[in-house]
This record gives sequence, C-alpha cells and structure tokens, in this order.
Amino acid sequence: MEAFQVWLVRTLGGAYGVVSPFTNSAWGWPACETLHFLGLSLLVGTIGMFDLRLLGMAKRVPIVALHRLVPWGILGYGINVITGALFLMTEPREYIYNPAFHFKMLFMALAGFNVLAFYLTTFRKVKVLGSGDDAPRVAKVMASASILLWISVLVCGRLLTFYRPGLCGAERAGFLSTCIP
Amino acid sequence: MNSLFVWLESSSFSVWVRESNSVFAFPAILSLHTIGMGLVAGLNAAIDLRILGFAPRVPLMEMKRFFPLVWIAFWVNAASGVVLLIGYPTKALTNPVFYSKLLFIALGLAVLLLLKRHVFRDPRLDENPVPRMGRMLAVASLACWTGAITAGRLLAYTYVRLLSI
Repeated sequence: MEAFQVWLVRTLGGAYGVVSPFTNSAWGWPACETLHFLGLSLLVGTIGMFDLRLLGMAKRVPIVALHRLVPWGILGYGINVITGALFLMTEPREYIYNPAFHFKMLFMALAGFNVLAFYLTTFRKVKVLGSGDDAPRVAKVMASASILLWISVLVCGRLLTFYRPGLCGAERAGFLSTCIP
Repeated sequence: MNSLFVWLESSSFSVWVRESNSVFAFPAILSLHTIGMGLVAGLNAAIDLRILGFAPRVPLMEMKRFFPLVWIAFWVNAASGVVLLIGYPTKALTNPVFYSKLLFIALGLAVLLLLKRHVFRDPRLDENPVPRMGRMLAVASLACWTGAITAGRLLAYTYVRLLSI
C-alpha cells in the first residue's frame, strides 16, 4: 500500500501549483475550514433529522416529505468534498500518512455503502409510509448506522491534528504507512 | 484579568485539558463540541429551511419534536465550551472574535425562543402560510448560526496571545 500512498501524494500534489495561491493565501485556508464546518452542519442536521424520523422521532412527519431536505445534506456533502480536496491537494502528506485520515475515509466509504444499501433495498417501502407510520426494521438499522458513521467521520476529522505523521525512522509501515517516507 | 488567566492556566484541570496525551482530554472535548455544533446549527437550519418553504409537506408543528435535541446539544456545547475555555482562557478572552461568537450564539438562541413563542405556539400553524415574521426569524436564525460557526472557526487563526503562563 505504501507505493499507492506515494502515488496518491504525487498525484494530489500535482495540483499544488493550481490550488496553493488560494489555499495558502492569508484567508484561503480559514475560509475553506469555515465552509467545511458549515457543510458538515448542513449534512448532520438534515440527514440526521431524516435518520431520527426513521428511528421513530417526530412520527407524524411523513418520511417522503422530510426526504425533500436530503438535497441540502448532499449540498453540505458537496461543499465538504470540494474543500476537503483543496486541503488534500495543498498538504497531501499530512493526510495520506495520517491514521485519523485513514479511518475517516473508511467511515466515509461505509457511510456511502449504507446510503447505497438504503436506496437499493428499503427505500421503496419507506417511500409509501405516511404520517404516524413506523419504518421497517432494516431502515432503522441503516438509520442508526448512518448516525454512528457520520459521528465517527466527524471525530476522525477532529483527530487529524492530533495524529500528524512524522518522517519515517527505522521502523517500516504495516498495511498503511503512518509516517512520511 | 492577567492574574485570573495565570491562576486558571496553572490549575491542574486546565493543564490536563491542554497537555494530557489522553484522547479523552482535548481531542474528545473538541469532538463533542463539533458534534454538538453540527446538531445545534444543523437541526436549526433544517427547521429554518422548512419555515422558508422547503419540504412543504412536512407538518411544521411536528418539527417542534426536534427542539429538545437542539437544547441537549446546546448544553453539551456550553459545557464542552467552558472546559475548552478553562484550558485556554487567555487565547479566547483576549480575542475580540470570541466575543462575537458568544454574541452570535446569544442572538441565535434569542431567535429560537422567538420562533417558539411566535410561530410554534399557533395551533393552526399548518393551516396557513408561515407569517412574514416567522420567515424573517428563520433567515435571522440561519445568519446567526453561520456567524457563530464562522467566528468559532476563525478563533484558531486570529488569537493574539495563547497563554499567560
């Protein structure tokens, strides 16, 4: 995997010349961080609310009606993919060798699979439910997974600064390198 | 003020918050503060968007059920915020941006209380379009929470003094 990480750093770093005049400007990085936090709030608020309804909160709300807020969560997600990509292209090594980032990507991938599974399986049944109806058990399991996974993504994001990678010493990496070769 | 900072920063709790290598110290407190932020700002934003006319088939009255969670998240953040403040009192209290953050939060809470009193108290809320006053409050709420998050994020870049000890 180390070769893959080296390749990622080189590829992402290829955009450095394009993004760094903005991200390394006086307010570029703080502006991106601010947008990243606004985006995460939008995602947590709208998707979290949808998940809570699936779990039985505010039961008189028809689930399809609340589903109309999901595009706002996708907007938040999109803002965060863009600002996140800018961070990655500016400081690729800080992320690619950071164990907190590895887990953040793992939880994001799992959250993505969870979304996919939700729409491919139970959404058809959930869509027809009205005011006061209980969601099927599968939907509830997926809603709980969604809440737990997004919280994990948030926590890993905050842990990034506490697990900054250093340069590799004599020790060699395991599956994923957590030091800069 | 300076002697207060010195006294606080040399207390063992403040030192623990700042210097402990445990993930349950600074990283955990910061994570809680972020989860709470997402819930307070995000759930408020979802309710505001509904007031402004998005997801129109959602009965607005039923969105009241999310207010208790907003308050729980708010108190989690008030508590974690106080702990962070004990860790770095000089850093926060000598930065004007910190006071603007507190102001945005106070205004956001005031708007939330006004929404409860003027919009959600009407039992026929879902039979009529939301009054203009309610829509203005929703816009104000979105602005306040955006302001609070922006100010909070900028604290990391605008502080003038980190510690007094």
